[in-house]
Amino acid sequence: MSDEKKQALEAEIRSYVGKPIGPEVIGRDPVNEPMIRQWCDAMGESHPAYLDVDGAKGTVHGEIVAPPTMLQAWVMEGWDMHEGYDEPKNEQHRLHKLLADNGYTGVLGTNTEENYTRYLKLGETVKALTVIDEISEEKATGAGIGYFITTKTAFENQDGEELGSMSFRVLRFKPANPQPTASAAGGEEAVAQKPSRIKPPMGHDNGWWWERVADDGVIPIQRCTSCEKLRHPPRPMCDGCGHQGFDSIDASGKATLTTYTVVHYPQFPGYEYPIISIIVDLEEGERMASSLIDCEREDVKIGMALEAVIHEDDDGFKIPLFKPAS
Amino acid sequence: MPTTLHNEAAIAGIGQTAYSKNSGVSELQLATEAVRAAIDDAGIHPSEVDGLVTYTMDSSDEVEVARTVGIGDMTYWSQVNYGGGAAVGLITHAAMAVATGQAKNVVVYRALNGRSGQRMGQGVSGNIISSDLIHWSWYMPFGLLTPASWIALQANLYMEKYGATSEHLAHVAITQRMHAQNNPNAAMYGKPMTMDDYMNSRMVCEPLRLFDCCQEDDGGVALLITTPERAKDMKQKPAVMRAVTQASFEGQEQMTSFYRDDLAALPEMELAAKIVYEMSGLGPKDIDASCLYDAFTPEILMQLEAFGFCGKGEAKDFVTADSLTIGGALPNNTHGGLLSEAYMHGVNNIAEGVRLIRGESCNQPENVEHVLVTSGVGVPTGAVIFGQA
Amino acid sequence: MTTLKANELETGQALPDLDFKTTTTVVAGGAIASRDYTPVHHDKAAAISQGLPDMFMNILTTQGICSRYVTDWAGPDAIVTRVKTKLGGPNMPGDTLKIRGKVLSTDGDAAEIEVTGNNAWGNHVTATFSLRLPA
Repeated sequence: MSDEKKQALEAEIRSYVGKPIGPEVIGRDPVNEPMIRQWCDAMGESHPAYLDVDGAKGTVHGEIVAPPTMLQAWVMEGWDMHEGYDEPKNEQHRLHKLLADNGYTGVLGTNTEENYTRYLKLGETVKALTVIDEISEEKATGAGIGYFITTKTAFENQDGEELGSMSFRVLRFKPANPQPTASAAGGEEAVAQKPSRIKPPMGHDNGWWWERVADDGVIPIQRCTSCEKLRHPPRPMCDGCGHQGFDSIDASGKATLTTYTVVHYPQFPGYEYPIISIIVDLEEGERMASSLIDCEREDVKIGMALEAVIHEDDDGFKIPLFKPAS
Repeated sequence: MPTTLHNEAAIAGIGQTAYSKNSGVSELQLATEAVRAAIDDAGIHPSEVDGLVTYTMDSSDEVEVARTVGIGDMTYWSQVNYGGGAAVGLITHAAMAVATGQAKNVVVYRALNGRSGQRMGQGVSGNIISSDLIHWSWYMPFGLLTPASWIALQANLYMEKYGATSEHLAHVAITQRMHAQNNPNAAMYGKPMTMDDYMNSRMVCEPLRLFDCCQEDDGGVALLITTPERAKDMKQKPAVMRAVTQASFEGQEQMTSFYRDDLAALPEMELAAKIVYEMSGLGPKDIDASCLYDAFTPEILMQLEAFGFCGKGEAKDFVTADSLTIGGALPNNTHGGLLSEAYMHGVNNIAEGVRLIRGESCNQPENVEHVLVTSGVGVPTGAVIFGQA
Repeated sequence: MTTLKANELETGQALPDLDFKTTTTVVAGGAIASRDYTPVHHDKAAAISQGLPDMFMNILTTQGICSRYVTDWAGPDAIVTRVKTKLGGPNMPGDTLKIRGKVLSTDGDAAEIEVTGNNAWGNHVTATFSLRLPA
């Protein structure tokens, strides 16, 4: 996009800031028991104040109230939403279409903040006015380059009494790595697969090691067949004597913790965070990287005794991990 | 023919682009802009350049850069491996080329869309079987996927062994952020940091918080290397290499040298220190300022020890004495470094080393005779000592 | 049923784990209960056309489930005054949403609770609940 075109686009999107997206929305139904009960069913909610008069009396509420996170549900558009918004129906849609037409085709909800002034009572009608509050500078994000758009909604009841507020931030971006989309022929193979931990590539120098982990359920340690020097990670020649032949011994699995880090960010699909990633000294003298399981963060101590477990992932991949020695 | 690189080469030109989070241009454009700026800074014509050196990780090929900039015939080019460890390697290669006469004027460069393009902080992945990928595969399945995670393993042990704490790391981060407040080119210009800001930044890989980690940026930097003799006829005051070397130590891996006895030390940096001190005839007391590679704050502590500015385990006391500030014993990363200026893979730290010799730093200490600059930590690396012509 | 008091809580204290099994019924039922008829929340084909393997949970359902996770633990007299959420990857049928919580801070009768929901795709949601508890 040329600088001029970009400036024109920026000027146009900025003109939306401060605009209401449309007229005030008035909830179709007042706060009512059937909708609350349907909500509680779906959420697995059993809160007494939401579900029955007697139960509610035993709480601070004293009467039936609606679950707080249901606030927005009272003013949702409902059925009409299934038709989509190819033709913009309000200012928010127009802003999004403008960006989409300029290549910012991706959209991602990133943050919400809801403030509940009080819980809603049966019979109240909810009214909502939404304003386009803020559009960020163009930002580089993991998803691609784009703009964060924040809308703010004020909720009140039929008497103009304040009920709460909501801000909602979405990223409108140019996809850096376009998502695979199913072809018109219905090719489901184009669909994303459930992620799992990154697998080692299996080459001449390392494939045998992972095969032994999977087939024999052990941690193998490579051994030179000439001078019997052990080495890990595996390499194609003995750095002691230059011999290429090797076999392996089975590690006992007993180890001590050499060092560790607790990994919080960035988070990769296929891993559960935080991860306690470790370096261990195997009893046989070699060192290896792994991760620690079945151990609380505060119980991790450098020098602690560990034992190996061959862990099997949901996808069947086997990997040696460690846990505190029993 | 020289037998060492002592006083055989000098940096006579430096060039850089603006640093940003989204350059909006190609990496080739960043590279050529920086290269052209370095040539202009030296006051020579592109056709006088006959050598180019860059990173194996760089995407702009030498001949593409040459054609774009108007560099004509070339007799030397090379690329240096191992990420930020390559920084001083570039000028070592260039110095060898000019010292032997293989080339007259060599430009080294590094340009990357490190934020808007391929991001290093987002980890490694891939499926081509190479020795490098098999190397990473001993760590990736266990969640060790980012530079921060690899460095954190060593930093944690170092801190536990010597009693260093987050406060000590904070001193490094805050000092460099303070330096960046005088550097309009720095990404963190106008964004000072307090101890509270530091402590409230989120844990990334314990013990590393977000502000212990360098940034990711777009930009390019280039340096023009020639002989001290030729540099006399060029526009700028040259920074002469008193000593320069690459250094990889026994058991070295790329970021994962976890198999040596003492994980709380940087033997490749100790090797670099030994070589540059021997080659230059200088010692730690002769160094007036430094640009120690600073992708992560604990690396500064460990390098201070490796280069003999303090004893083993004493760096925590060295940094709390404000030694790294402009008036301190060793003003360090006076431009803000990789933490607060930009992550240009270490080449911007070399450019600052040259400015310190010229007397042109945005935070210029008085009486700078010798400056030490290092490249990547935890990788095969290198070091250079600059002196006055 | 009793409700916890703020002075009974300790910073860092963990809430009991909840491993929430996500089914097509849960996703569709939650969407309709929140009157969110956007097709990707009840129509698998619509989700696939957007590059996802299946229909995915809408934000209101995620918030509803996290809210009941917090008040099931805190007790019926705990008042939710604010919810801040950071949204991550999708939660889809077949996913086990691992919901974990901890006490971030307390101040008088107020407490801040952090809730994370992770599944095999990574982080689905991180929410901070502000509670007002009995004195």
